[in-house]
Amino acid sequence: MKKLLRSSVCALAVLAVGPSLTIADETCNSPFTSALIKGQEDFLHVWTLGEVGVGDESDKLVTIDVQPNSPTFGKVINSVSVGGRGEAHHTGFTDDRRFLWAGRLDDNKIFIFDLIDPSKPKVVKTITDFADKTGFVGPHTFYATAGRMMIQALSNGKTHDGQTGIVVYNNAGDLISTHPMPLDNGGDGYGYDIGINPAQNVMLTSSFTGWTNYMMDIGQMVKDPEAMKRFGSTMVMWDFKSMKPITTMQVPGAPLEIRWSLRPEDNWAITATALTSKLWLVKQNEKGEWQAKDVGNIGDPSKVPLPVDISITADGKGLWVNTFLDGTTRYYDLTNVEAPKEVYSKKMGSQVNMVSQSFDGKRVYFTTSLLANWDKKGNDNEQWLKAYDWDGKELVEKFTVDFKAEKLGRAHHMKFSAKPTKAAALGE
Amino acid sequence: MRINRHLPLAVPICISFFSVLLVGYIFSKPASSDIEIAIPLGLPPLEAHQRPVKRQVELGRKLFFDRRLAFNNTNSCAMCHIETQGLTSNQSATAIGMEGRSLNRNAPALYNVAYEKTLFHDGRETDLAQQAWSPLLSSLEMANPSIGSVVDRIRGLEDYKGLFETAFDERGVSMETIGAALASYQRTLLAGNSRFDQWYYGKKAGALSDDEKHGFEVFAGKGSCATCHTIGEKSALFTDGNFYVTGIGYHTAIGAGSRVSKVQLAPGEFVEIKHEDMETYSAPRLNDIGRFAVTLDPKDRWSYKTPGLRNVELTFPYMHDGSLSTLEDVVEFYDKGGYEHDGDRVLQPLGLTAKEKADLVAFLKSLTTAEDKAKHSPYR
Ligand code: HEC
Ligand code: HEC
Repeated sequence: MKKLLRSSVCALAVLAVGPSLTIADETCNSPFTSALIKGQEDFLHVWTLGEVGVGDESDKLVTIDVQPNSPTFGKVINSVSVGGRGEAHHTGFTDDRRFLWAGRLDDNKIFIFDLIDPSKPKVVKTITDFADKTGFVGPHTFYATAGRMMIQALSNGKTHDGQTGIVVYNNAGDLISTHPMPLDNGGDGYGYDIGINPAQNVMLTSSFTGWTNYMMDIGQMVKDPEAMKRFGSTMVMWDFKSMKPITTMQVPGAPLEIRWSLRPEDNWAITATALTSKLWLVKQNEKGEWQAKDVGNIGDPSKVPLPVDISITADGKGLWVNTFLDGTTRYYDLTNVEAPKEVYSKKMGSQVNMVSQSFDGKRVYFTTSLLANWDKKGNDNEQWLKAYDWDGKELVEKFTVDFKAEKLGRAHHMKFSAKPTKAAALGE
Repeated sequence: MRINRHLPLAVPICISFFSVLLVGYIFSKPASSDIEIAIPLGLPPLEAHQRPVKRQVELGRKLFFDRRLAFNNTNSCAMCHIETQGLTSNQSATAIGMEGRSLNRNAPALYNVAYEKTLFHDGRETDLAQQAWSPLLSSLEMANPSIGSVVDRIRGLEDYKGLFETAFDERGVSMETIGAALASYQRTLLAGNSRFDQWYYGKKAGALSDDEKHGFEVFAGKGSCATCHTIGEKSALFTDGNFYVTGIGYHTAIGAGSRVSKVQLAPGEFVEIKHEDMETYSAPRLNDIGRFAVTLDPKDRWSYKTPGLRNVELTFPYMHDGSLSTLEDVVEFYDKGGYEHDGDRVLQPLGLTAKEKADLVAFLKSLTTAEDKAKHSPYR
């Protein structure tokens, strides 16, 4: 731990030197994350699920060179297996951008990677007592605040249903506090994502489902009426500083990813409901009360395309929405956010889950895996990362990494980084 | 009270695993049961071998709730047999195990399991103390690689130090003692003294409403439910412990089942999805031929054990595959004489009136034990 602290201090010192530390950013990082990168990212880290029958079958952090001028452009340059399959899912940077926390939804292990050399991430700490210490399971969203890592869990260790909460750690990995999702005033206890709007001192959360559902074969789940009754229908607006719920909004059909508009003059967030296939806008009414409003369908909701990841452009005017079951990405014009308009769509493959764009929106990356037992089966279980250029009209493919052919596993969450400057290298 | 038998200190500690088993076996002769357990109204007395051993119950409970008993520390007995969900799981039709793997059966509620002559829906196990090793070792459930690895893991846990020795007269952790402790705990999971018991055995006339009493008449009479879900003169377990073909297993395996599912997307919002449209994302379902897998007798194809019905209000969804959601669905199923199948039908259409069906459901709900209902919290 000492080493970790020391390295944090190093990172801070390096940061203080100035903007030369170029760890890239994408638009969905926490606003507390420092050093936004507006240029070219060098590396892409893919938190990858081990898959039975594929390579070492272990979860791993795969690093891909995405610097077009590099001789290894588009190639896997590093892979760190963390051991076993625990349903690797999402990751998040600490506020100082030095460390990447990567969680597993099944066995609740959290791996803290040091990115001082982003071409070779190293595990410096593993948190193994998340469930024991908090009572929650399924550490999903990793969201940095000042000196802290906030984690939204999905389930609990007593019943594996959807009643859960938020957990706060400090950057050293010590547990600070736990906050159950509200069950009163319309709250249903579920959790999924966190989005903080610091200017308004508000935190927005969304709601998914418990371990039993997110671990279960999706085909079986869809046929099981009991299982389908157990999805969240709410979003909660919290007072961020006091961590007290302000209001619970009804947003039926599992509202997932939350994206606040990054434009300072904007004051809204957008989300998509996975089961009901809708975009919802969260903003204040004339009286200043937070409200959620259905602002349109995604594809044909009766076909249940299953919207999953979304990615908002830095100017708040565009939104990528992936629909998993039809393997399609869609681009929405948010100029009038009350009426988003689908202006582009592209079939990416048999399935697509995550989408990440560079800060300028010119590069967009896609991966396939949603959850081990929700991914398609047989030949439809394509697993890849695809990199595109986007000119506002067309996605132009740059390269593909086939995670099956490379014996890596299921490609899931992506984060960018960039080569450290000499100063940073000296710091270590 | 029992007198502690002190094993000679010479009992070797570092002997091989097989010797440990052997020692376990030698000392496994039924320990006399010493718990003064109160038998709730309406249940038969426990025979000697069915009784929990008092000193083992707390240890058994600890094991039952311990997630570290699953290979990856994420699942316990209590997470498939959930205390707040009727000692089954109300969350899914069939149980979900290691890394989300699908079992093909519904987790049975464990109320009154002490009285069961055979265990599992197909009756393949006969001793509660042995049963635990099925889930502990099944790759679908707790997925431990071997008996020895479970024994060693528990031996290595600080918070178990000395507990087995105290509960088992100096015998330590072994395959035998783990099973016995779990069995002792499960033998305390008695459910009786329901309003039905207070009326029928306690002779409290007001304990059931007229509708419920009428429902009882249907259960014991026109519905012939009690031929299999038996009610005795002094006590009732609501099961004869036998195996029958009701058609459900056949229906699923042979595929006469529905090809379309009505899928809830949000409260009150449904779509219909064809199963053929789900093929790309559905794993093949494990086949299930019921008791046949134990006897290899063709007449046992798709036959399953009669479950007891106490607390049945809390133990949904129903049947070995969890395919019926509500008690209304169950009564509807029986009213039609079960499902068509290829053998002789034991169930016949009943021709129940709407009132008889409603009262039968009301009666089934009178079989609930108040304490268990108070713990029940199934919706999340
Ligand atoms: C992954 C979920 C799961 C776990 C974990 C699990 N069970 Fe079960 N249990 C089931 C299912 C499903 C069945 C029925 C299986 C069958 O009939 O083949 C069952 C059956 C049983 C039965 C038979 C009951 C009867 O009436 O026939 C007992 C007793 C039991 N389990 C006890 C335990 C104990 C003790 C543990 C922990 C060591 C445990 N279970 C762990 C799902 C689970
Ligand atoms: C021929 C014997 C028989 C008769 C008659 C019978 N049952 Fe059953 N019952 C069974 C068997 C066997 C099962 C388990 C079937 C399975 O798991 O697929 C069962 C299951 C049930 C269940 C589900 C319990 C659970 O925990 O899943 C209920 C409720 C039930 N019966 C109620 C009734 C009622 C009410 C009647 C009368 C209308 C009735 N039964 C008549 C044998 C019978």
